[in-house]
Amino acid sequence: MKKDKDGRVHFKIIFWGPSLSGKTTSLRWIYSNVSGLSKGGFTSIEDPTGRTLYFDYTPLSASGDVIFDVYTVAGQKRHKHQRKIILQGVDGIIFVADSDPSQLDANEESMEELKELLKDRLGTEVPLVIMINKRDLPNAADKEEILEKLNIATMDVPIYETIATKGIGIKRAFQAIAREVLLRKLYNLKTMT
Amino acid sequence: MIDVKLFEKILSDLIKSESGIRKVILVDRTGLTIAHASKFSYYPVDIDGIGAIASAVFVASEEQGKNLDIGELMLVTSEFEQGKIFAASCGKGVLCVITDSDVNIGMVRLLMKRAATELEKVLDEFLSEQTTLPATEEKTREKLKSALDKLEEF
Repeated sequence: MKKDKDGRVHFKIIFWGPSLSGKTTSLRWIYSNVSGLSKGGFTSIEDPTGRTLYFDYTPLSASGDVIFDVYTVAGQKRHKHQRKIILQGVDGIIFVADSDPSQLDANEESMEELKELLKDRLGTEVPLVIMINKRDLPNAADKEEILEKLNIATMDVPIYETIATKGIGIKRAFQAIAREVLLRKLYNLKTMT
Repeated sequence: MIDVKLFEKILSDLIKSESGIRKVILVDRTGLTIAHASKFSYYPVDIDGIGAIASAVFVASEEQGKNLDIGELMLVTSEFEQGKIFAASCGKGVLCVITDSDVNIGMVRLLMKRAATELEKVLDEFLSEQTTLPATEEKTREKLKSALDKLEEF
């Protein structure tokens, strides 16, 4: 949490996850479809094919005094340095897991990287919400199998099954992480509820 | 407690001191725009987005310098057909200056160095106040509670 010179409180929320899991699609869906939020511009650094090269960013606010600066990261393995930079000052994480069975290991690697970077702050000081995305895939992996790979059993985190292309579950997942970061700051909670 | 008008004064002095300077943005290293100043422009600009990129690009360049073991990063310069962007470290923040293409580069460097020294002190104090910001501070609590209520409405 930080304040700007006008006294507005900022929280940094990051969509994290493996390449092509639906991070940008989720943020774009929120940006385009959720009413009742004031929004700034949508900044995107992407490659010529439209894949995130560095990050996407947009400031969202439910009340003028509190702003959620929402970022996505580039999911491809070679962009690890960029992800580390974007992670600085993070207040909350939405992990976007891919339901495609061929992406189970990629989900695991992405979560491992996140754990390595945030260490014991993940799920405690920095709340975590899981989105299991692409649930409309005909061959979608079993939810339990995906969660087992993520190895988060010790963390009692909110989990949402989502379809980012249709916006299903996205708003709820965003509300959940926003609520977690606000409650954590308000009541100084250290563990997930 | 720090007077945030100090930021405005330093940025405003900087923008006035060279005619080719169009915008000045102060960001922290997490991408948050802390303060900015602009000369009049018809072209609307998303300052928060520019600040986020400026911070990310500067920190990424610093990382490159570390990886290559070539010392501290002094200045990032991006040259475009119709303008230039300069970014320099100022303690825990990054000072970003957007100029016309024909600006006096030596002068901009000098002015940025001066402003960065002034900003470093103010910014360090501003940010250290934030790390000790108590969640119990009544005004902040009110803002957070109100945001929490609004969150359930959208």
